[in-house]
This record gives sequence, C-alpha cells and structure tokens, in this order.
Amino acid sequence: MLYGIRLLVSGERACFTRPEMKVERVSYDVMTPSSARGILEAIHWKPAIRWIVDEIHVLKPIRFQSIRRNEVGHKAPAGKIKQAMNRGDLGDLQIVVDEDRQQRAATMLVDVAYVIAAHFELTGRAGPDDNEGKHLDIFNRRAERGQCFHQPCLGTREFDARFELLPPDMPPPMAASEHRTSALGFGATPRDLGFMLFDIDHAAHGRPSLFFRAELRDGVMKVPHPNAPEVRR
Amino acid sequence: MSILASLANAYERLPDAPPFGFSSEKIAFLIPLNEDGSVACPPVDLRQNDKKRTPRTVAVPASFKRPGITPRSFFLWDNTAYALGVSGDGGKDAAPRHKAFRDYHLESLRDAADPGLRAFISFLKTWSPRRFEDFGWPEEMKDQNVVFCLEADRRANIWLHDRPAAKALWSRLSAEGERTEAICLVTGINAPVARLHPAIKGVWGAQTAGASIVSFNLDAFTSYGHEQGDNAPVSEAATFAYTTALNRFLEKDSGHRIQIGDASVVFWADASDANKAVAAENIFAGLWDDGDDGSLVVDEGMQAQIVGARLKQIRDGEPLASVAPELAEGVRFYVLALAPNAARLSIRFYFEDDFGAIAANYQRFLADMRIEPPPRDGQPALWKYLAETAVLKKRENVPPNLAGEWMRAILGGTRYPQTLLATVLMRLRADEDVNALRVAILKALLIRNNNRKDTPVALKPDYPSKGYQLGRLFAVYERIQSDALGGKVNATITDKYYGAASAQPRKVFGLLESNSKHHLAKIRKQSPGRRVQLEKLLAEIMGQMSPDQDPYPVAFNAEDQALFGLGYYHQRNEFFKSTKNGTPVEETAQ
Repeated sequence: MLYGIRLLVSGERACFTRPEMKVERVSYDVMTPSSARGILEAIHWKPAIRWIVDEIHVLKPIRFQSIRRNEVGHKAPAGKIKQAMNRGDLGDLQIVVDEDRQQRAATMLVDVAYVIAAHFELTGRAGPDDNEGKHLDIFNRRAERGQCFHQPCLGTREFDARFELLPPDMPPPMAASEHRTSALGFGATPRDLGFMLFDIDHAAHGRPSLFFRAELRDGVMKVPHPNAPEVRR
Repeated sequence: MSILASLANAYERLPDAPPFGFSSEKIAFLIPLNEDGSVACPPVDLRQNDKKRTPRTVAVPASFKRPGITPRSFFLWDNTAYALGVSGDGGKDAAPRHKAFRDYHLESLRDAADPGLRAFISFLKTWSPRRFEDFGWPEEMKDQNVVFCLEADRRANIWLHDRPAAKALWSRLSAEGERTEAICLVTGINAPVARLHPAIKGVWGAQTAGASIVSFNLDAFTSYGHEQGDNAPVSEAATFAYTTALNRFLEKDSGHRIQIGDASVVFWADASDANKAVAAENIFAGLWDDGDDGSLVVDEGMQAQIVGARLKQIRDGEPLASVAPELAEGVRFYVLALAPNAARLSIRFYFEDDFGAIAANYQRFLADMRIEPPPRDGQPALWKYLAETAVLKKRENVPPNLAGEWMRAILGGTRYPQTLLATVLMRLRADEDVNALRVAILKALLIRNNNRKDTPVALKPDYPSKGYQLGRLFAVYERIQSDALGGKVNATITDKYYGAASAQPRKVFGLLESNSKHHLAKIRKQSPGRRVQLEKLLAEIMGQMSPDQDPYPVAFNAEDQALFGLGYYHQRNEFFKSTKNGTPVEETAQ
C-alpha cells in the first residue's frame, strides 16, 4: 500500500456511540472508520488530503461497562448567539446546568487498543506544492513526536487516545494469544458486527449517514473505500 | 449483530406476531353493533377470569404515542373516553377526546361501502355519552379499551378491524404522511424512516405508558440539524419489527424475561429448530430465577421435570454437551438487560453468544461461588445473592447498575464489578452478618478479580494470608467469649468490633487479646480441658503469623478485608461443626 501508515491507539475507555442509542449511549463493539479518521486528522490534516481508513485491528478483548452521569440537556442555540452578537449584549444567553440536568447512562468499552491502517489521497484542493511524499513526511514526523492539533479521542471527547506510530517494516501487532477467540473473530466464523456507521456525507443534501456491513475476521475489520459499493448511501 | 437487528430477526420467528401496522393491545370489552348502527346487545366482557381480570391481548390497528394535549384517536378501537366519551375520573377530558374519535372516523370512513364500517358510522352519528348510563353498562368498563364488531360476525370472532375492508383502509391510512427515505441502519436498505418509534412497555420501573430506546427528546441528543428519527435512520418496517418483538418478550409470563435487581432482562434463542430454542430458553430462565419457593418458572408438567433435572446436572458442573447435546452447538443466545430512565430506556448490557459458552461461563461462576459449609438452602438464584448487597436485604435496595454489571460478567466470564466487593464489605461492617452467601461472593471476587486462584473453599489452617488468619483469630476470640459468658451476651465482640477488626486490626486486637485472658480464666474454672483446647487453637493461629512481620497491621485493604471475612466464616463454622458431631476442634484435650 502506497503512502500507508499504521497508528497504534489505546486508552482506558472508549465510546463509539451507535446512532440509534446515542441518548442512552451504547458503544459499537469496534472503533468506527469515522472515529479513526478523526484521530488521524487530529495529528495531520490539510484541505489538500483526505484520509482513507483501510483496516482497524482490534488488539484487546471487547469489554463493556456502564455508567450513569449527569449531563446538560440542551445546546447553546446558534440563532440566539447570533442575535446576541448583533445586539452586542449577552442578555439571556445562558444555560443553567442545575436547571437543565439530564441523567444519562452510557455503555462503553473499557481498555481498548487498536491499530489503524490508513492512507490518504490528494483532493481537488491540492495545489502545485502538494505531493504525497510531503504530507506523508509531515504526518510521520508529527506522529512520532506525539504532536497533534487537538488531543485525539476514542469516540467521545472525554476518552482521550494515546497514539504511537508503528514503523512500516514492523510485523502487524496482534491480540495476545489468550484473547484470540471467536469473540474477536478468530476461528471459523467471523464476528458479525452488523451495520456500522461509516461516516456522515456532509456533501449531500440533508447530511445523511453512510453505513457498511462490518465484520471482524481474525481481529481485523476491513473498511471499504468511501466510493466502494459496500458503503450504503 | 446489533441489538435492534437481532430483535428484528427475532420478530420474524415469533409464532403469532401481529402483522405490520398492527400491535397487540389489552382489550377488555367488545361492543356488538347491528347493521343499522344500533347496539345489538350489552358489551361482551373479554377479560380473563383470573383475580386481576386481565384484559385479553388482541392484535388491533397499531397504537402510537399521544404526547401533548391535542387528542388523537386510534383506529376502530380505543379506551372509553375516546370511543364512547365516558371516563371514570369525572370525564373532564372525555368530551374533546370523543369528538376527536368521532371526527377522525367519520372523516376516514366517509367513502366506506362495507356494511360493517357503515354500521360503525351510523353508530357514531347516533351515540351520545349519556346513553352509557341509559343502557346501564357496567361501571368497570370505564377507561378500558373497547373494540367493535358486527353482531352477525360475533360468533365467527371477526371484529370490525378484522374485516377485509377495514384492513385495506388501515393499510392506506397508516401509510399516509410518507416519510423521506434513507439507508436503514438495521437492514441496510433504502426505506422510509420512522420519525417516532413505538413505546416499549413492561420494563420494571419505567413509565406505564411505555418508554423508548430510540428517542431524541432534547436537542442535546441531536446532531447535524437532524430531527427525531433522522438522527438514527431506522426504517418503519424495522422499527415495527424490533418493538413488536421486544414488547412480546417483555410481557409478563412470556417465558422470555427475568428481573435481576433493577434490570429487566429479556432473552431469546435462535436455533434452526424452534423446540431447541424453547429448551435453551427454559434452561436459561431456570438458571437465574427459581421463584421464591424454589419452583421453576417454566411450563407446568413434564417440561418442568425435564428442565429441572437438566438444571440440576448443569449446576452440578456437568458439561452442557453431556446434559443436552442438542443445545451445545448451533444455538445462538441473546440476552438484553434494560433499565429505565424516566421516559427513556438504557441498555444495561447486551450479550450474544452460543448457548454452550453461556452455560460454561455460568458453571465457572458456580465454581467461583462454591463455599464450605454451603448455604443452607443449596445453590440459590442470583437475586438472592443480590439481596445480600442491599440494605435490609430488600430487593428494591439493590444498588442500581450492580445487578446488570454482575450478570454481564457472569455471562461473559469476565471480571466481576469491583463495586460488588465494596458493597459486600460495607454490608458486612454495617450489619455484621457474615453468612455463606456474602462470603461466597467475597471468595468469587478474590478468585476472578484479584487473581487469588488458591482462595480456600473450606477451612485451610495454613493459608498464608494475614487477613485470613486474623479472621480466624477473631472467630476464636468470639468463641472464647461465648464459652465464658454463655450464649446470652447482649453485644458479642462481633457485634461490637467486627467492622473495626476487619478494617483496622491494630486498633482492636490488643484489646481483644487482653479481654480473652479474663474469659479464658473463667473458662478454666468451669472446664479446664476446654481452656487448653482453645489456647492451643490460639497458639496454632499465632504460629501462622511471623511476629517480625507486624501481625496486626494498621489497616487492611479490600482484598485483606475479604479474606478476613472468609477466615472468620470458616473458623466460626468449624466450631459449629465440632459441637454438632460432639468431637473437639483439634486434637483431644488433656
């Protein structure tokens, strides 16, 4: 794979929220492609490139835990903020947390580690100065030093991700031998993960969600190319 | 597979699933009509003859949620406030509701040619709520759901909504207001997306009108400017399938639900053969809940006997492959635990595996829990263990979340929730009841979470743990006290010191040691042999502890506290055993 990179990400907790259960959150079993893209973009992104996730390797057993938290029930309304800006007066622009509590449960993953295998493509906004080698070098340098534009996270902002660049010549890391069970798709039958959120199509009208049929085979989830027919749109 | 997808699959296999657009509702009364719209005879009571007069469950045109104050009626059935304009609570809302019912049906049935529907129109035109009293219809009918039928159809059990014309009309009506199409995240095909999902009823502690798994009732829950169902595109058909299946499983006595703490747990099996699925489901139900009197929750008669025998074999540790070879392979099993959060439902856990793996994990749990001497009532169901973690041992006091987390750990064979340890230790300190169930939980936690695989099942005098040995020592001091002062001490040293001794031994053990001197002196006067015997025991326990290593630490961590409880339990029951058999504790005294 030309210009491919592999990034090891891990963390104590993760929550890749399923859209149908995003109120009382329930995580997908495995990191979603859009979440992996977000991590890569936190390290290096420019309008000239577009990250394409190829594979996600699962290195730890899939374990869940559920917690309950108090959260706020409303968003700051964009319209009111605009009004306040025009008016030059903050006025009633506020959310009082104590009066707007929502207790929400979350079923999330504990102790996760993944390898993201990905590459990037140049977009139509690439100028004459842009070439693959340059962006690959920038990414590798930044990832090696642990630099990022913002702290990458595992699904939601409160679960930050540790990351580590894997050298290209290194053999792919695998789950520990005692974890290579059918739960991670080892053995005769792959683990069926059902339809998984691929990404949001921001270019299309109404910003529809894209889905693909995910399965875990020998600890690896293959991710289709965004233009592939496997991505339902 | 995802939760909704596996539920939607389960719907396909429901034996008597209501078709799309219909839902099972509790209907209490049937009003027969003549063809001219007059009432043919007094309403027929459809309720069962049990104590609670449970209404009959009937597939009728689907109900929906009725938020807000604008009344919206169901099609061809509803409660009496809507259908007849009569309700029990003074009937303040009944008039607008009945008007909504009347207007909706007169409008939608306007062009109907079917004699049944024509009769219904005439009925609505002539009906006034006052006639309810005039006819002298029973008071208990108020606020119940009613359906209608033609008198001519009554014998054949065909009700108004069953008539082909009504069905055709309903399929047209329910498809109205067609929604935008999008990719369904359950089926992956392009289909009209449901805006609101039907309510899930029957979750313990949730609102009786039902609650939702998929709902977006505040704007903090929405993304990208999407509204309601567009946030999570699920097709109308998939929505209907998963809610129907889940509601069916959640019904009381469905054979698919158990209550574990605050979590309502539903489970179902997927096998090539329906009988296999039922057998797996029955065994599963029996593993967790054996009723208050130890009776099985499965079907009566032969079935119960077979399941009971199999359960016993599984509990005795026989592998599933030899107990029920047909279930060991190829039976996929699903467990879903739901907990209420007002109008929403949260998923406590969802578990999916082969039935054989679940049985094996359950047996591992039993092995972890094995304790000598065993609990008095044999191997209890999980909820009895859970009651031990609750204040006053009441089921409603079980800490929320604990039950679900624990059950998930048992099913998956993973670590037990750490809060369980803290909770049991707290209960031990608070009420000093060191019983077999609690000690069994402590032992299981030590084995699985703290990796102490050698945690003793029965008394092990040379077990190298300070906590364990001090627990034994504490039991001996207690015995010395009761031997000296008799069994009628108001507050034994356990009542007074268990909490302190198990957590901060240094504070207490010096005191206990000096008190025991007096007690031993008293015992010597009554029975010198007994004193020698007890002193030997003390010396034996002390011998396990090396003096240079601080025999009484300032504080014990949770693991040592757990071992303390275990040592105390083992040693204490050793005394009971010896008195029962009439043989002394260790070797015979001089």
